[in-house]
Amino acid sequence: MNLTVNGVEHELESHALRPLLHVLREELGITSPKAGCQQGGCGTCTVLVDGEPRRSCLLPLAAVDGAAITTVEGLGTPEQLGPVQAAFHDKYGSQCGFCTPGMLLATHALIERSPKAGRDEIEEALAGHVCRCTGYVKILEAVEAAVGSAS
Amino acid sequence: MKAVGARLPRYDGVAHVTGRTEFVDDVRVPNMLWAKALRSPVHHAGITKLDTKKAAAMKGVHAVVTWEDVPRLVYGHLEALGIPGDEPLLAKDEVRYKGQPIALVAAEDEETAQLAAEAIEIDFDERPALFDIRKAADPDAPQIHHWGNWYPHFEAEMDVRQIRKGDIERAFDQADTIVSGVYRPAAIEQAPLETQISLVVPEPNGRLTIYSCTQALYFSMGVVAAHLEWPLNRLKFVGGTVGGGFGGKVDTAAETVSALAALKAGRPVKWRWTREEEFLCSSTRAPWHMEIADAVTKDGWILGRKMLTLHDSGAYARFSPYGVTKHSFHHTGAYTIPNLHFDGYVVFTNRVPTTAMRGFGVTSVSFATETHVSRTAEVLGMDPFELRLKNANRIGDTSPNGIAYTDPSTVPTIHSIAEAIGHELPGDYRAMTRDARGGDLLPEHLVAQVGEVDH
Amino acid sequence: MTGESQAVGLSDVSVLIPSSADEAVAAFGDGKDVTVVAGGTIVLPDLVAGRLRPKSALFLGRAGLSGIARADGRVTIGAATPVSDLADADAPLAEAARHVGDLEVRAQATVGGNLCSVASDDAPRGDLQAPLLALAASVRSTGKDGEKTEPLEDFLADGAGRLVLDVSYDDAPRQAGYASVWRPHTHHYTILAVAAAKRDGELRVAATGVGPKAVLVSPDDPLAALELRDDPLASAWYRARLLPRLVERALAILEGHEND
Repeated sequence: MNLTVNGVEHELESHALRPLLHVLREELGITSPKAGCQQGGCGTCTVLVDGEPRRSCLLPLAAVDGAAITTVEGLGTPEQLGPVQAAFHDKYGSQCGFCTPGMLLATHALIERSPKAGRDEIEEALAGHVCRCTGYVKILEAVEAAVGSAS
Repeated sequence: MKAVGARLPRYDGVAHVTGRTEFVDDVRVPNMLWAKALRSPVHHAGITKLDTKKAAAMKGVHAVVTWEDVPRLVYGHLEALGIPGDEPLLAKDEVRYKGQPIALVAAEDEETAQLAAEAIEIDFDERPALFDIRKAADPDAPQIHHWGNWYPHFEAEMDVRQIRKGDIERAFDQADTIVSGVYRPAAIEQAPLETQISLVVPEPNGRLTIYSCTQALYFSMGVVAAHLEWPLNRLKFVGGTVGGGFGGKVDTAAETVSALAALKAGRPVKWRWTREEEFLCSSTRAPWHMEIADAVTKDGWILGRKMLTLHDSGAYARFSPYGVTKHSFHHTGAYTIPNLHFDGYVVFTNRVPTTAMRGFGVTSVSFATETHVSRTAEVLGMDPFELRLKNANRIGDTSPNGIAYTDPSTVPTIHSIAEAIGHELPGDYRAMTRDARGGDLLPEHLVAQVGEVDH
Repeated sequence: MTGESQAVGLSDVSVLIPSSADEAVAAFGDGKDVTVVAGGTIVLPDLVAGRLRPKSALFLGRAGLSGIARADGRVTIGAATPVSDLADADAPLAEAARHVGDLEVRAQATVGGNLCSVASDDAPRGDLQAPLLALAASVRSTGKDGEKTEPLEDFLADGAGRLVLDVSYDDAPRQAGYASVWRPHTHHYTILAVAAAKRDGELRVAATGVGPKAVLVSPDDPLAALELRDDPLASAWYRARLLPRLVERALAILEGHEND
């Protein structure tokens, strides 16, 4: 099976039903998507599949054969943060950091499809992402700032 | 002082937003094995058979660890505070809660470890279980702990945490009315996004490097050293980035069991709990049962409080005696009540042992006290702000355990709330301060507590 | 935990990936010992946790079974159609679909999976069943005894072990209503919901959360013939009190459309 991750092509011999989360973390060493629940219930495993946010813990490899995957490493680097990353950092949208990669990717995908997203749309886009630390207020401020800077 | 008042970026902020923050699960070491536990499927039983031979012989399995592999099986995490140990690291003759760990398997991958754990041969002889702390003292209650159904080792081998202050009978005689209430907050699972996890690496020099999600690194180090009967300098703990803990990662025991598996296998071992294990088997905030009876005057003085607390410790003591002690020290909350009769019990049940969660021991009684004070205001037909201000802690008042308050903030806090919501207070209540009571405002029932006052 | 288990790991599972509907039918055969994986939202957690240890699996994602077609007076929805594609479908199907999981999960979850999922104490599911019952939908499936098309209520009662190919209903004007107990967050399962549709004077009302599968209920006596039980989401008592209220509300919404 073939997979492009953050622009780099990979040929994989893994089992067709191996979850994409495990392939990314264990075989490709990309550890930003997390194993928070492995039931699709928390959003820490979210990655972009051809630009769309999906739960990598629920995706068998066969479902993404040939697809382009983006993880948070693909949004920017420490030397050059992407706009969503910069907004989260600036607005303190992160405490322990475990939910952050998933939140960033969901936010990035939201802005791509709806550059002027209002509060309701923002809440719907992030509704599946759990954060146990922040109480969400600063996360929403960060997303609004990211939407603001995009438009 | 450059930092105070300045807006500083989080030192780990860039790492968080670029996905570079390294949690235990993200640490990569070569030759790592994955671990899975065999856990009790029943609430209370004797173990009549435990045979790991088949599991250990399975292809891909490198170690199976049971109680026999633990140099010191029972170690009280708070022995330094006088709380003796009661809990085996891995179950030996019996299990006392559903989910109690019995064995750990280390294998090439999670799936093999899981299959091997399921291949361990085990038989149980089930016993009746106790789940309701109110029934622990019934004559026909199942006996579930070798110490009895509640903790008996408070100071002077008392089986109850007691506070006695003043003359409670006189307070109840003098009261115009008694306000009673029962408060029963339920258990809460801390539910951090990162589940319990540890990675243990045996080093060539005979030390262990332990990557841990603990909230209390040096504490966990001490626990591992005690169970292994090793000196501390043979352990190197690496921690610091915790994916949420909220109290649930203070009593970590994953490191010790993983360490034993790593030593037996001669390879690094990672034990990552599933979300199901986190919900069903990890320690929670305790359920409580609190009964409060306050002796109050019709003009709103709380003369005395009788209180009974039952704390559900689950199957083992862990930190509960400490939690109940803290609870007792704060059982009057933001208010000064001079006559006290408090009894608190650490009760054992066949539930997952309970632990700390944000405000351990105190949040339960804060909730009960505040609700009770509001109810008292309703019963008396009194403004709840005024009732609170009247009884609020003042400088010099003493806490239930006899500590004098030097800087209590109850009065200014209540004033701020009243102002924030536009609640009008009469002049004499607006004029109250947290300064030591004196003069005309000193009520007779507090005279003995505060001492002689010049009129 | 302990007990019997086939010692089958993921690497031992043989996976068939058919690239057409015909290939899928042939690969499924009589369905014995085949676990179907479509969206993966239900099966993958069970596979990873070891609750499901199939000998063989059929991955449906490339078999061309996705899509919504309107033709010959019928609306036909392929089994592998993502639930999110129903967001603009006919009422009351759209409303139920919009509230399955969150937007990421429902973009992966499939209609077929929703019809075939077996509700359990851990995970009551199948929110699309009630609206489709209200729409008098039929299911085309394959398995033992070959291919057949039957009313959804018959499939729900005895279609276990069959492979859903598509679900369809008449493309016709209707009045519809949907009422459900509010979910506090996206990961919460639906405690109770009622879907109603009326077409040419014929009213069909169905309920989610009154048993392992959705069922048609009588609008005049919704509790008749129901065996409500307690489960981790709600008690039977609670559901018994709420069901008639939800039926009223769904019908009021339905009638509201009629008055436009």
